[in-house]
Amino acid sequence: MPAKSERRQPTALTLRTYRVGFGDCFLLTFHYPDEARHVLIDCGTVAFPRSHTAKGRPPMLRVVEDIRDQCGGKLHAVIVTHRHRDHLSGFKPRKDGRGPGDILKACDPDVVLQPWTEDPALAAGAAAPGSPRTPGSHQTARAFTRALSDMHRVAAAALAETKRMRADVQKNIRQQLEFLGEDNLRNDAAVRNLMTMGRRHVYAHAGSDAGLARVLPGVTVHVLGPPTLEQAGDLHRARAVDQAEFWHLQALSSAPSTRRPRALFKGALDLRTHAAPPQVRWFIPRVRNLRGESLLDLVRVLDGAMNNTSLVLLFEVGGKKLLFPGDAQIESWEYALRRAENREEVKRLLADVHVYKVGHHGSLNATPKSLWRLFRHRSPARGAGRLISLLSTLPGKHGRKERGTEVPREALLKELERHSELVSTHALRGRTLRHHLIIPL
Amino acid sequence: MTAPGKHSPPPPSRSRLAPTRTRTLTVIAQDPSVTLRGQPVTAQVEVPAEALGPGPCGYRVHVIDYDATADVLYPAWTPATGADADNGDPFAGASPKAAIDDPRFHQQNVYALVMRTLARFEQALGRRVSWGFYGHQLKVAPHAFAEANAFYTQRDQALLFGYFPGESGDMVYSCLSHDVVVHETTHALVDGLRGRYTDPSSPDQAAFHEGFADVVALLSVFSLREVVRALVDRRPGDEPRGAERRRRGADTLVRREDITPERLRESVLLGLAQQMGQELSRVRGQPLRRSAALRPSPAHLAATEYEVPHRRGEVLVAAMMDAFVSVWSARLQTLGDQEPGRLSRDRVAEEGADIADALLTMSIRALDYAPPVHIEFGDFLSALLTADHEIRPDDSRFRLRRHLLSSFAAYGIQPASRGGGAEKGLWAPPHAELVYERSHFESMSRSRDEVFRFVWENRAALGLYEGAYSRVLSVRPCHRVGPDGFVLREVVAECVQILTVQARELRELGVRAPRGMDPETEVRLEGGMTLVFDEYGRLKFNVQNAIDDAARQSRRLQALWDFGHFRKGASHPRRFAAIHRARALGLSRQVREEW
Repeated sequence: MPAKSERRQPTALTLRTYRVGFGDCFLLTFHYPDEARHVLIDCGTVAFPRSHTAKGRPPMLRVVEDIRDQCGGKLHAVIVTHRHRDHLSGFKPRKDGRGPGDILKACDPDVVLQPWTEDPALAAGAAAPGSPRTPGSHQTARAFTRALSDMHRVAAAALAETKRMRADVQKNIRQQLEFLGEDNLRNDAAVRNLMTMGRRHVYAHAGSDAGLARVLPGVTVHVLGPPTLEQAGDLHRARAVDQAEFWHLQALSSAPSTRRPRALFKGALDLRTHAAPPQVRWFIPRVRNLRGESLLDLVRVLDGAMNNTSLVLLFEVGGKKLLFPGDAQIESWEYALRRAENREEVKRLLADVHVYKVGHHGSLNATPKSLWRLFRHRSPARGAGRLISLLSTLPGKHGRKERGTEVPREALLKELERHSELVSTHALRGRTLRHHLIIPL
Repeated sequence: MTAPGKHSPPPPSRSRLAPTRTRTLTVIAQDPSVTLRGQPVTAQVEVPAEALGPGPCGYRVHVIDYDATADVLYPAWTPATGADADNGDPFAGASPKAAIDDPRFHQQNVYALVMRTLARFEQALGRRVSWGFYGHQLKVAPHAFAEANAFYTQRDQALLFGYFPGESGDMVYSCLSHDVVVHETTHALVDGLRGRYTDPSSPDQAAFHEGFADVVALLSVFSLREVVRALVDRRPGDEPRGAERRRRGADTLVRREDITPERLRESVLLGLAQQMGQELSRVRGQPLRRSAALRPSPAHLAATEYEVPHRRGEVLVAAMMDAFVSVWSARLQTLGDQEPGRLSRDRVAEEGADIADALLTMSIRALDYAPPVHIEFGDFLSALLTADHEIRPDDSRFRLRRHLLSSFAAYGIQPASRGGGAEKGLWAPPHAELVYERSHFESMSRSRDEVFRFVWENRAALGLYEGAYSRVLSVRPCHRVGPDGFVLREVVAECVQILTVQARELRELGVRAPRGMDPETEVRLEGGMTLVFDEYGRLKFNVQNAIDDAARQSRRLQALWDFGHFRKGASHPRRFAAIHRARALGLSRQVREEW
């Protein structure tokens, strides 16, 4: 764990939760006696609430302009928990230099913090076997990052295939595929912009230094995830290699990714221009629908894998603890709670969490029950000291209620309402841009 | 492609005097990565002869080569005309490489392997075997989509095989992999024989389909003498050159030190695992490699890692493969030397293939002696032993049953039979007095109503739970041929019972509701019995998982609760697709942690 700076202590914290629909965007301001320091955690969405999109300036521009105004044009740190569009679309620049990403870049962050999987030295095709900062086996780690890169290609291909599909694929399957597919696209422009903004880049993993001590004196930031493949152990390493090969083959099978693939053999009957013979017509719509279902299953798996690369950060300041786990799902928590060498210390820290950013917009498996049970400040009684939950979400976009996969998950929502002070962006009305919370320290 | 509705009937010029019973078709022996002199190894397999339509489309299988990714139909296999219509092989003598470039060969390959597997099941069971859906023809799409997956879907009455480019850039076709095709066909066949095995039940039942399909696929490959002969004394990475082998006599002889169980495990099991196309492990997983590497331990089944179906199934495969090498090695020890310290390679291969074939027959027959619902590995073991004992009471040649008991025990699987059978582990005959006078056996061999009358008359003695919905699902007369040539006639009937209660009512049945379950939750309890009658109409076995077996039902409910079955929308219509993908990715779910 990093050493705590005793030099200066913040006296209060302002926590702004932006209403970005299905996405995350938080601006934390640490108030010191003589100045304020600002940390942006994620800035992205895949769907704004309807009230934001009706008219006027593009909603992401409004959000980012407000961030700029709140921080006075200076960000001390930018944290992007993982590569999904609903966490980084706000970093996308525009050709005319007036995009949201341009505004954030102009805020000149001192530190840009991302998970170790984003380290460009590990990128597929890089000549170097890995940067000295990167822990673990380079070969396995590179295979894993190659898998992440392949996942984007699979998502792009799945999305393209979905768009080519006809009415034979059920509407709800098409919609889910489009939603998840788009969230898993590469977001190249935003990623490149992140790589070139900021003075210092830190790629963190469980137990590593978050690199924020200098910009946030008096604040200890514990990195609880994601684990490296070395940390996760032999089983996970083997699994990561399996997955890397799997996604690589899937990516190859979809190359060239977004164009309609050619027939495998000569003499094929093109069903876009010709009717199928009657004796096989019963079967063809069924295979098309199965293909849609199968693509959806595939995209769900890659969505989960990408979520599990999320940074899991615990801020400790003035006796308060704030947990920001990005979209980390149960597989990532499995490491922090059950496998990490310092798991007992991690559990002790988690037990004392005062503010919990609800994982993955309230999905069924990103707030593991064993994690939830650890929080000792959850309580049915209102009052000071009660756990505060921050939920940034937009119902009706992800999952299906009849399958028990809706986001936010109804059972979790009830539990959050019963046992914590729930701040949900979905409960904000009209064109309200953000929720504002001041925590005295 | 043919004109609509014009599946050509056999031409009238064919001779009708002596219709052939079988047709020989060329297939890929294992998968295209197994080569000999630079060419993929092919084999000729026999399948039941029939007048095929384009596709091929036969009485049980219709190959429809639709590719959903490219949205095209590939040119269909067409039958030969004239005298060869029912038994011609369009790819006899063709270059394997050229055949692999022809979609019609792929269609022939899947048709032949599916039909061969079906015929193998029918031969072992001594009767026709139906698919698990209302229809006679299983649809098979050999190039269904660009994805590293292959699966059976009962809802769509189909087997779908994916394709993907390998690392070399060459396309990898899962429809050309012998074991993948047999594995998927086995899912379809087991679904026809025991339709309730895809129902939510215990971790064992979820794993059984996958493990059993692997067992059948692997034993099918090992029952090919040529495969065993080539592998028998290989070491991993070992590929002796032809001249060197001939000088050492290695082509015709095998050293005694190479026939220990450990060496056979290394040469034959791991050897084949190494040869199987590695890229296809994204489709099939690595059942052989994993089972060969999984050391015996009774602790596996209790470990969390083996709770998920695809991992748990590996334990069943490992136990069966362990029995295979143990029986084979023990048998080889009794053979005389061809030369001092060396055995005939042909004889070694012949014994291995025979043992694999015997185990394959036993495994398929065991389904008839297995309960209709909630199978656990121990039930399968007792069913295996009983199936074998009924047709082959004398076990002195291979001592298969003794080895099976010991191999399964080493992996923590004990027979479910509580004793009373003719040998350890066998199902016991019914002890209670039964009334036969009010039912007619001749009718019982065909009529579900007649069997139900027998069951109802004897409900107390048979342990039927009166308060539940009861139904005879199937009645199947069988004629099985034993190794001595005698025919064993049996009638096998499945009767299931269903009782729907609320969770709060479970206590009255002595069943423990999982902690946290809402008392109003509707719980469906299932039970059932497989009744095996002898040729005189007397009941030989009542293999039962009673609906009021409180301990088993409590265990089952807890497992279902843990795995999220009671969550809304938990059923998965593409069960096998999901299991296969989870298997390729090594995924597991922790439903206990979900909301």
